[in-house]
Amino acid sequence: MTEVGRGVSETAARRLSAKDVTVRFGPVVALDGFTADIPEGVIGLLGPNGAGKSTFIKASLGLVPLDRGSISVGGLDSQTQSLRIRDDIGYMPEHDCLIPSMSSVELVSYMGQVSGMGQRDAMQRCHEVLDFVGIGEERYRLVRSYSTGMKQKVKLAQAIVHDPALLFLDEPTSGMDPNGREEMLDLVRRIGATGKTIIVSSHILQEVERVCGHAVIISEGRLVREGKMGALMAGEEGLQNLTVRGDAKALDAFSRALGAACSISKRTDEGVGQTSFSVRGCGDGRRIFALAREHGVQVRSYTPDRMSLEDVFLQAFQGGGAGGD
Amino acid sequence: MGINPIEYRAWKGDRSAQKARMYVIARSVFRHKMKATGVLVVLALGFLFLHAFQLIFSVIGPHEALEAQTMFEYMGSGNTMAIFAILLAAVTTSDLISEDLAGRSFVLYFSRAVKARDYLAGKGMASVLVMSIMCAIPPVAVAVAAMATQSGDDYAHSAGVLARTVVAGALITVFFVPYGLMMSSFTKRKSYAAVGTFMSFFVLLIVAEIFAEFDPAWSIISPAEALSFSTGWIFGVDMPDYVNWPALACFMVAFICAPAAIVYLRLKRQVVGG
Repeated sequence: MTEVGRGVSETAARRLSAKDVTVRFGPVVALDGFTADIPEGVIGLLGPNGAGKSTFIKASLGLVPLDRGSISVGGLDSQTQSLRIRDDIGYMPEHDCLIPSMSSVELVSYMGQVSGMGQRDAMQRCHEVLDFVGIGEERYRLVRSYSTGMKQKVKLAQAIVHDPALLFLDEPTSGMDPNGREEMLDLVRRIGATGKTIIVSSHILQEVERVCGHAVIISEGRLVREGKMGALMAGEEGLQNLTVRGDAKALDAFSRALGAACSISKRTDEGVGQTSFSVRGCGDGRRIFALAREHGVQVRSYTPDRMSLEDVFLQAFQGGGAGGD
Repeated sequence: MGINPIEYRAWKGDRSAQKARMYVIARSVFRHKMKATGVLVVLALGFLFLHAFQLIFSVIGPHEALEAQTMFEYMGSGNTMAIFAILLAAVTTSDLISEDLAGRSFVLYFSRAVKARDYLAGKGMASVLVMSIMCAIPPVAVAVAAMATQSGDDYAHSAGVLARTVVAGALITVFFVPYGLMMSSFTKRKSYAAVGTFMSFFVLLIVAEIFAEFDPAWSIISPAEALSFSTGWIFGVDMPDYVNWPALACFMVAFICAPAAIVYLRLKRQVVGG
């Protein structure tokens, strides 16, 4: 580990924090006082197109100068110590960036060597990571002949060839078909399971919801919400969602009895004899099941209130909710 | 992913070659250039028109020693060597930066701990190696062959000329590389960079000829003439009186250093702290 060496220690490299970061491209403000403390794990960086996600990643790598504020990666400053930071980071850009005149074996091993690996080590590791991402015999073909899905996999392979502690994946499933997306998310999940910190930038909420443990929502260059996925998606405390089915008369009687036993904050008739309630103060549900039996209705589901990431996202943009932590 | 997917494995080795990044880039570029059709064609034509006859002539022609005048006529007199050098520089350097710009591959290098200096030095070093295959190694081989077959025994004199040949070869090798890299950094199309490099050589040649009508000293702004005068100076042969040596030195330094500085500053803009 000479000169730049492994810039950041294995664990420290996994933490990233931004303080009041402002980045301007001429009149366009890409990041506007962005502040966030990003923990270890698989982190989703969410936001609509043009929100500033890619700019934040590039600023963290020291590829974009900051107009104000600072970004720290494992305690190192992204502007003054960017070489040391970049030495232990893997970056999968959103856009096409592969060298078309190389095969994926050449490209990935070359990038390993550019990362400081010896020639033999780089070649051995290159085959390992290409096996991992699922590039088979095609690895000897020129990259220019690859499909979008294969290019995405090679982009991931070059990002992990030197086994970095921190990975930035910018829209990793961009341009992929559903099967390809599934494979890519599986790869991300499996890399994340080894304890690496992975920052997945995406505007596809379902993807982030499935692989990330923590989310940072960004809009117009500002932090909108952040927190653990479970906390962000948890609904109102104590609120339960109940769905019952029965004939109209029985449902009305059940509704009256339920109103007397607990507090109903919302009732929705879904048709075909099905009604859902948002209720509070019903305890563990035994009273609900007793009431249902009593009034001849069938309980279809009784679950704690939980939002989808899409709800969280929409709520965040409407200015609602608090931090997830 | 299959029934039994291959799991991610951490890499336990040492990254011990951080200081070799520049050489890694140079080696990769050199290997690719040695497979490129354009480069191979120019090299083959160069060997045929520049070196083959000279080599045969040097070996079979009667000579007592290796003469500076002979080597100057071979390397510096006339524009043939300069034209082949600019042709080779154009095909060698045109895609080195432009393709990284077009394919946005810069980010692959600069998301790693690669300095703009190392990136540029790696690309430049590879270009110089390719150029040396035509501009430096064959003249040295010709000089060695001439020495080996000389009838006289003044080897000290021949060795002096051989040393001058090495210096002249190095100058011709390096001369057009920074300019070619600069042109490559101006565009995303390698064809534009190649044509731009070659055409600017001719534009300067024509401009120099126009101005030389009024004052022959202006001929130094032609890269071919400047290279010829410089080679003549290295070999110690008589040069025309109108050559303004300080102006020529300034032109040579500017022609090499200014493009190198421009391309370096353009690269520095791509990355912070590199």
